[in-house]
Amino acid sequence: MIELLDRRADEAVGAEATAKIEVRGLDFFYGKTRALHAVDLAVPANAVTAIIGPSGCGKSTLLRTINRIYELYPDQRASGEIAIDARNVLDPRYPLSELRRSVGMVFQKPTPFATSIRKNVAFALSYYERLPKTELSDRVEDALRQAALWDEVNDKLDASALSLSGGQQQRLCIARTLAVRPEIILLDEPTSALDPISTAKIEELIHGLRQRFTIVIVTHNMQQAARVSQRTAFFHLGELIEVGETTQIFTNPHAQRTQDYITGRYG
Amino acid sequence: MPFRRKLADILALLFAVTATLFGLTWLVWILWTTLAEGAAAITPALFTQMTPSPGSSGGLLNAFYGSAVMVLLALAIGTPLGIAAGTYLAEHGRHSRLAAVVSFLNDVLLSAPAIVIGLFVYELVVRPAGHFSGYAGAIALAMILLPIVVRTTDESLRLVPNQMREAAFALGLPAWRATSRIIYKSALSGIVTGILLGLARIAGETAPLLFTALNNQFWSASIAQPLANVPVVIFQYAMSPYDEWHALAWAGALVLTIFVLALNLMVRFFARKGSK
Repeated sequence: MIELLDRRADEAVGAEATAKIEVRGLDFFYGKTRALHAVDLAVPANAVTAIIGPSGCGKSTLLRTINRIYELYPDQRASGEIAIDARNVLDPRYPLSELRRSVGMVFQKPTPFATSIRKNVAFALSYYERLPKTELSDRVEDALRQAALWDEVNDKLDASALSLSGGQQQRLCIARTLAVRPEIILLDEPTSALDPISTAKIEELIHGLRQRFTIVIVTHNMQQAARVSQRTAFFHLGELIEVGETTQIFTNPHAQRTQDYITGRYG
Repeated sequence: MPFRRKLADILALLFAVTATLFGLTWLVWILWTTLAEGAAAITPALFTQMTPSPGSSGGLLNAFYGSAVMVLLALAIGTPLGIAAGTYLAEHGRHSRLAAVVSFLNDVLLSAPAIVIGLFVYELVVRPAGHFSGYAGAIALAMILLPIVVRTTDESLRLVPNQMREAAFALGLPAWRATSRIIYKSALSGIVTGILLGLARIAGETAPLLFTALNNQFWSASIAQPLANVPVVIFQYAMSPYDEWHALAWAGALVLTIFVLALNLMVRFFARKGSK
């Protein structure tokens, strides 16, 4: 693993690079249960930031706050600030549609819609942009290519998305997200339901996407965090314990709790 | 010990088989009698001639027409309202008090006796209008269909996993679009099943039509007039002293039974398609 980290060290991104997302004093509540405690975190642009930590540490909660998807549930509440390009998105006046268009999200379980592959990708796109038919199918192809799925599906775009394998479905979900041209992509344990080969494909994909997007990935798998990210944040019991370059977190963590987690003492 | 278990097993099996046979006997008997008595009267005349006066021969064309018109009209009224209300309960009002109240009232309506609904529509529509009419019958049938569609829509939408909603909303789609284009697609087979079951239910309802559509021995295409319909014709002809009318009542009952049976088969087909 050390060898792997060395290879990635040259691509590491420092905190001083432009922050795309700036989380300040974020608290989160599920009813009366507090899930995040005063989190401050800067996420650099055009890089992959991994969020790791044991179950229930708040890593998914943080992700679900960035695109405000938690608002679907009336008993969930966030306070504090999340600035994207210096604008606070937690401000109720921030238009939700605009936020979710620029912040895409891919979930743990693949969630293809019960329709054709083509429509899955074109669906949100045709809501945001009125495109002539040829341009629409160009954009669909483009998104599928970016998600490394085009070669596998180009001859069956009108087949049901449910007929794809789990790994293909997950890449379809990524394509669907990419189609509306977001700036940020949130990945919530995107490979935990997939086999090793599909996982490798998705990781390769993430690697290719990081030049153009700001990516935040929540993962249970520390090797995955080490493989795909440039920066890593470690959460424990709703608190951000430590954040830094992935190499530093995995080879020379400053906090004892980070050290314990990455060496497998708990989690 | 093994002996006692074996004995208990045999007795339980025996009881289950007997109970099943007991239930099936009546069902088969009913179907057989309907078929035996009705089959003879299934002739081309049944579908081409009007209900006859006593002593002459005829068919049930006006009753079939009236039933079809009222059931379709009830479907046109009840389905959109029912789907809209069910969608509100499952999607938009999920956490609200109003939804809880509506859901409770819907259960009350679901179990309301059909005759009460007939009387209600009589007071609401027939009395003010001054005469019985096809549309009053359709309204009464719609009120029976409505709670069925509301409940099944609500339940099928609740079966759609939340991840699907999150995925749709995460794309930034507004609620109406996410629901109409994505959530409905996942719940479609359940909703269609509910509509078909409701249709099977109202096709055979007699009580709500007695006070609303009444009956009409003659051909009338207008829904503003009393309208002939299969259940009430069966009811009246079966109680009459004339043999021709008895035969027509059996024929009507057979056609109705086959229709409901066909609907139930369709329901099974849709339900199976949905579970795939």
